[in-house]
Amino acid sequence: MRFGLKTGAALVAALICLVLGPVRAEAAPDRAAIVNGLCQGGPGLSQAADQLLTGLPGATPDDLAWANRVVGAFAHRQLLCSGDGRGYLASGAAGLDAATLAPVALPADATAPFPSLRARIVLERMEAALALVSPVAPSATLAAIGTLQQHNDSVPPALVSMAIARSHDAQVTKALRRFGVLQGLHAPDTAQRIAAIHDLSRDTTSDALGQLRSLRTDPGYAADPAVAAALDQGIAHVQTWVHVGNVLALLYNGLSAGSILFMSAIGLAVIFGLMGVINLAQGELIMIGAYTAYCVQQVVRAVAPAYISLYPILAIPVVFLVTAAIGIIIEATVIRHLYRRPLMTLLATWGISLLLINLVRVGFGPQNLEFITPSYLTGGVSVVGDFFVTWNHLAAIIFAVLAFLGTLALLRLTSLGLFIRGVTQNRDMAGCIGVSARRIDMLAFGFGAGLAGLAGLAVAPIYNVNPSMGADFIIDSFMVVVLGGVGSLVGTAIAAFGIGLVNVGIEPFYGAVAAKVIALLLIIAIIQWRPEGLIAIKGRR
Amino acid sequence: MSGLLNAGRDRAARPVTGLLLLVLVLAPVLGLHAIPGLGLSIYGINLVGQVMCFALLAMALDLMWGGAGVLSLGHGLFFAFGGYLAAMHLLKTAYAQTHVLPDFLQFMGQGAFPGFWWPFGSASLSVLAIILLPGLLAFVFGYVSFRSRVNGVYFSIITQALTYTAMLLMFRNETGFGGNNGMTGFNTIAGLPIGGTKAAVLLTMLSTAAVLVVLVGGRAMLATRFGRMLTAIRDDEARLRFLGYDTLWLKLAAWCLSAVIAAVAGALYVPQVGIINPTLLDPSLSIEVAVWVAVGGRGGLCGAVIGAVLVNTLKFWMSAAAPTVWPFVLALLVLLVVLVLPNGLMDLSNRSRAWMADLTKSDAPGAKNARRLS
Amino acid sequence: MPLIKRRSLLAGAAAALAAPAIVRPAWAADTVKVGCLFSSSGTMANLEGRLNYITQMAADEINASGGVLGRQIEVVTTNPNSDWPTYAQLGRQLLQEQKVAALFGCWTSVARKSVLPVVEQNDGLLFYPLHFEGDENSKNIVYLNSPPASSVLPAVDYLMSGDGVSAKRFFMLGTDYVWPRTINKILKGYWKSKGIPESAWQEQYVPFGFSNFQSMVNQIRSFASQGGGQPIVVLTVVGSSIADFLREYSNQGIQPTDLPVLGLDMVEADLEGLNTASLVGNLNCWAYLQNAPGPRNQKFLADWAAYVQKSGAPYSPHVAIDPMVSTYDGVHIWANAAKKAGSFDVPEVRAAFAGLQFPDPSGYTLKMTAANNYVSRGVFIGSINANQGFDVLWQSKGTPTPVPYSPYG
Repeated sequence: MRFGLKTGAALVAALICLVLGPVRAEAAPDRAAIVNGLCQGGPGLSQAADQLLTGLPGATPDDLAWANRVVGAFAHRQLLCSGDGRGYLASGAAGLDAATLAPVALPADATAPFPSLRARIVLERMEAALALVSPVAPSATLAAIGTLQQHNDSVPPALVSMAIARSHDAQVTKALRRFGVLQGLHAPDTAQRIAAIHDLSRDTTSDALGQLRSLRTDPGYAADPAVAAALDQGIAHVQTWVHVGNVLALLYNGLSAGSILFMSAIGLAVIFGLMGVINLAQGELIMIGAYTAYCVQQVVRAVAPAYISLYPILAIPVVFLVTAAIGIIIEATVIRHLYRRPLMTLLATWGISLLLINLVRVGFGPQNLEFITPSYLTGGVSVVGDFFVTWNHLAAIIFAVLAFLGTLALLRLTSLGLFIRGVTQNRDMAGCIGVSARRIDMLAFGFGAGLAGLAGLAVAPIYNVNPSMGADFIIDSFMVVVLGGVGSLVGTAIAAFGIGLVNVGIEPFYGAVAAKVIALLLIIAIIQWRPEGLIAIKGRR
Repeated sequence: MSGLLNAGRDRAARPVTGLLLLVLVLAPVLGLHAIPGLGLSIYGINLVGQVMCFALLAMALDLMWGGAGVLSLGHGLFFAFGGYLAAMHLLKTAYAQTHVLPDFLQFMGQGAFPGFWWPFGSASLSVLAIILLPGLLAFVFGYVSFRSRVNGVYFSIITQALTYTAMLLMFRNETGFGGNNGMTGFNTIAGLPIGGTKAAVLLTMLSTAAVLVVLVGGRAMLATRFGRMLTAIRDDEARLRFLGYDTLWLKLAAWCLSAVIAAVAGALYVPQVGIINPTLLDPSLSIEVAVWVAVGGRGGLCGAVIGAVLVNTLKFWMSAAAPTVWPFVLALLVLLVVLVLPNGLMDLSNRSRAWMADLTKSDAPGAKNARRLS
Repeated sequence: MPLIKRRSLLAGAAAALAAPAIVRPAWAADTVKVGCLFSSSGTMANLEGRLNYITQMAADEINASGGVLGRQIEVVTTNPNSDWPTYAQLGRQLLQEQKVAALFGCWTSVARKSVLPVVEQNDGLLFYPLHFEGDENSKNIVYLNSPPASSVLPAVDYLMSGDGVSAKRFFMLGTDYVWPRTINKILKGYWKSKGIPESAWQEQYVPFGFSNFQSMVNQIRSFASQGGGQPIVVLTVVGSSIADFLREYSNQGIQPTDLPVLGLDMVEADLEGLNTASLVGNLNCWAYLQNAPGPRNQKFLADWAAYVQKSGAPYSPHVAIDPMVSTYDGVHIWANAAKKAGSFDVPEVRAAFAGLQFPDPSGYTLKMTAANNYVSRGVFIGSINANQGFDVLWQSKGTPTPVPYSPYG
């Protein structure tokens, strides 16, 4: 064990604890003790952190530079510790004593301790405290304040006032002042406490709710009726917003699940809904879309690595055109012979899907593809309560909305859309007035295939991309199209978001599988009741 | 529309029946090594038995598809249902001998078999359950669907979704049937140790006999008035309804019969492979069954047997010899059949194009227009 | 390579001379077949596919040093297509038709459970390379990896200790099948025995191949915010779901320092393609980690890289995972046992397992006893680093004796 407590080191630590017990607020950080604590690990680490934090307000710029250097070295496993609990920094062939920065010879047994999870938690606190008072970017200071708020009690008030004095950024100063108020949570003064409670209540997360509740149940803390009243008020306030956040989260999750469903179904809404072709290879077109996106990514990485984060945007037209072309090939070679035999189309497209899966497997291998997620698609932002908006899902929602509007516009506003609707409604009549039904079939199928490809692009950052991924989408997307009403794009959208919402709504209670089972049974029941779907197109089909 | 039993299919029927009889006789001879130096391993006998179960399943599908023009993509559901019921019986028997509870009940915290398992301790009640329960499920689903006039591709898609739903349901351990693991650890069937030569021979013979009975009986049935009504439904259900026939009950009867045959196939299949789990409910298996029938040729049940035997033998052979090539072969086979031989291998023996066009048109809702125009 | 050829010729000649004494007529060819039951397509392909290659690599290694009992090992690979009944089907074929002397195969417990009756009926030998739920002890299966008592419990103990994070609350998220269910059942029994109340844990299961963890991670976040002590996630999802979970976890901004994840099935290969910077500190536990210290591991990694180069295997030459090493160990253990028994017959090979030792790439010396077909292995707890790998956070002093049946189940 690397962190085994060496007896000698433990004794030293105990001595230091005795001597430094009540640390004076303005004392400079005790360098030797901090290094020793870092090297010791275990409880020594927390002591080192406490010492650093209490020592920081009295620190000189030199102390700060030293602390940054040593803590940084520890984080990157460059702080070497010897058996006697002393720390060293490697500097060329020789070493520096970590406490004094004086050049010394490295002892033979000096190794870098591995920061365990507990060490990481302490490390985070130390780094945040240092970021508070060191000249770093405002965003880093704000992040540091967020981290420190979780360890409210261990941050000396002097450190916050010092940080406020040093701050040049209005936003940072504001956050710091708030943090200062929050620190009054355990202050003896009632007014300070109430101010802190009010401030804590502004943070409408269930974390804050838990904190407030545990304070409320602490009889010693809530003894003062004014404090208790403030707590009750705070709890009520936070609770309301947590509820609001939960509802919003449900809607958002439903919306994002629905948008994935919609994207995987929109191509089918054209191919099956409008043209009446049972395309069981639809899932594979989605898969090919994802693989094309991957190829675009690889090309961008090879040709212009600097613009790699833009590849999803570049991929949109490429993916659409490639999958549309493959769709057109499928239509021209197989589907066109089968328009009057829908059940045969079903078998033929199943054969095509088998072919595509295995071609891709032979070409790319069975493993999942690695996608670079651009920075603008990672992470997210906390909105209210526990409602957290993740960028990748937001992007999927926006993408779905754009695809919906684009498809609707193409079908309703362009002459191609007019022809497609005409041919699918009555191909003989359309042929009579001079529309080339053959060409329109091909274009419509290509368009549907291209939309499926775009779905592949949309799901690539969220789902695993491998040759057999298409199977996950096919039944869901058929259900969406049939439920929405064949031939109705709006119906498809309503069905997708409805199913998404039902799924997400049931999931917390019965689990993901039961949610899907219930949703599917519901759809089957609805179709029995309304065989033509939610939104039935009037007229001849 | 020419007569149902045309010359082409009759030509295939006799050799197929003969071959099946031969298998029935040869299975015990070769399996039990009655003639020294001439015999099949258990593995070989077992394969024959499995292929026979698939042939039975294919015939069940053909009865609906070739017979009444209704393509079910959910026959895996009934196949698996029968399989699960058989497995429940086998587990009960195994428990009576070993007194060890199946592990899926153990890790779900159950101390004993749930109460509703009691009929499966008895062989005759189990057989009854294998026939009645899938039949009942088929009846309920069929009644609701056919009454709402869910037809053509919609019916296919909904049956597929139903199978998929059942698969998801059975994958859950909470459902209580072994979840993903399914059921395994069978001990004996009819007193014979499962996996042994005798059991393999017995099951193969049973499966072959079932194929023969369904083939001969089914063809006879299709030739009756009931069979001709089914054909009429396939060709133009609306017209039949106008003529005053209640097609609902006709379709429902065929549908339930088809489901029961599929369930029996599943019940025979499970003791031969020694495991049942929800992968049998994978929609792609159900589609594959339709492929067997399409390859062999629809209608008349012979094609179904030929297709199932051919594709499965090829599959067993190739997935061992050239596993990466097999999916390509299957895919190309499907495309070949669909584009060049629309009624499967039956087309090779029977090239009466007019009949074929008639048959293939009839399953398309849009085809009615076409026919009226042409 | 004339040298090797000559050497194997010599070995072959020696074996031919010795043949009447040791080789049964049934094995009277100059090769001995072993079978592989690992999928190269379907959901498990990315993980299992590697094991086909590693079996071949180990066999090549043994063949280059003269084979076993004068015979060259011939590896018969199959593709069960991630379909559990097919494992049984192909297993039967390998044993009955190909007459293989041993099987190496299966990743999930489902697959093992489906092959189990086949190897028992045919008295075959299946070497199973995954850590699993225990509660099974067949004479026809060699359990190359650890049952929960010697792999999962040490890791959970570590997290509950002060050295870890003093974990008090547990969110168990698993794929819905026997392994996660049994592991969680054992864990619950273990926590109960420590007096932890039932309110301190929550259990959720997802289907195989589940990928959208958005609302699951939401649930975990709300579980974590309920207070009552440090929460951790015990993750027993398998296959591609692992990467999907981790992606959503870091997407929603959860820090390992706030809510660590112990991924019991998480291996180096699952991190390929993930940005692990925000996952640093999450844990796994196995009997081998790629960063295991020691020259034997260095050699193994170099051999694998060279083998990938040579064979054109579609896998990264720089990633090695526990089941690869376990399979590699399995081939060697089988070969050593056959040498010791002087026969390829299963009963004799099985009898030779008792007292067998094998120094494997993990740095530990594997041991087998007459008590069962389990193998004693070392235990590693790994911590995700920023380079899509695991650093060794803790490793056991020796190789704990495996306990097939957990007292907490």
